[in-house]
Amino acid sequence: MFTRNTPQKILESWKQIAGYLERSERTVRRWEACEGLPVHRRGHEKQDTVFAYRHEIDVWSRSRTKCPGAELIDDAEGLPPVKSANNAYLVEHDAITRTMHCYIAGARAGDSNLMHAAFYPWATISGFCQGVEYSGSVKHVFDWITENGPAPNIEPRFARIEIIETIAVVHLEVQHWSGKLAGANARASDVFTLLRRNGEWKITHKLFHWHDQ
Amino acid sequence: MANHEYLTEYDGIVKAMQLYLDGSKQGRSELMRPAFHPDASFFGYAGDQLANGTQFLFDWIDKNGPAPAIEHRIVSVDILESIAVVRLEVGGWSGKLAGSGVHMSDLFTLLKMPTGWKIIQKAFHWSA
Repeated sequence: MFTRNTPQKILESWKQIAGYLERSERTVRRWEACEGLPVHRRGHEKQDTVFAYRHEIDVWSRSRTKCPGAELIDDAEGLPPVKSANNAYLVEHDAITRTMHCYIAGARAGDSNLMHAAFYPWATISGFCQGVEYSGSVKHVFDWITENGPAPNIEPRFARIEIIETIAVVHLEVQHWSGKLAGANARASDVFTLLRRNGEWKITHKLFHWHDQ
Repeated sequence: MANHEYLTEYDGIVKAMQLYLDGSKQGRSELMRPAFHPDASFFGYAGDQLANGTQFLFDWIDKNGPAPAIEHRIVSVDILESIAVVRLEVGGWSGKLAGSGVHMSDLFTLLKMPTGWKIIQKAFHWSA
């Protein structure tokens, strides 16, 4: 194992990591923030000095190709960059979709760490699940996701994305939920409210309806 | 959902909205408080300042005072079984804090409780 980590097996910068994955630096940075791309940081140096092991990237890459929602958004990123002067709406819409994919990635993996970046720390949740009301801090979501564990077959659909300048509402329909708490083949309707702050869209509230089976 | 059920839910949602509008128009937060869930949240930008928390909203309504020229339109009411989203456009805001001729775009999310539909969040965008 040790010999596999010789220098040529290490990618030494964002540029090299992006080149290896044939994506933009912006995309691979988002993958690290939202989808657990294994990137390491060197101690005692500035935070942006990063490196990655090719074999770890390969393992991550193989597990990720099972995720259909993630590919949709990557395809969108493969398109020429939107000219913001003419297409301000598309820029905001895509930014919101990317935030939602952090949530979806965390839900699929059963790892709430992947979705933290999608929420404001003061975000809240409400809704009833099997007769129990879950109203309060977003921590309820994180705890539930972690306890539920992986839900590899979830299929998200964007039913609505409505943007009013600095606020937005997203209606997400998710089917094929599974896991320790979700049971099998469950369905949820989620309504997220988002706020744009310092140029970033993040979730302030998740409202859900859990469909009885 | 059968037709009459839909209408019953719709009317319950609009009733909650009306309490919010009555309180806004009269500058009396006590009129709108019953429409809000105890854990409701509130946010949006008022100028450069981020307003956050229903207490901020209720204090603001009381300090703003009457806004008799408020005119509202319901843009959409979407009901998904136990949850709902309402978009309101409210023009003609006035008052001590609002100034005059201000327009507010509101997104409300509501949760159906055993006691009826309650506002769980109000998000707004303010255009002066």
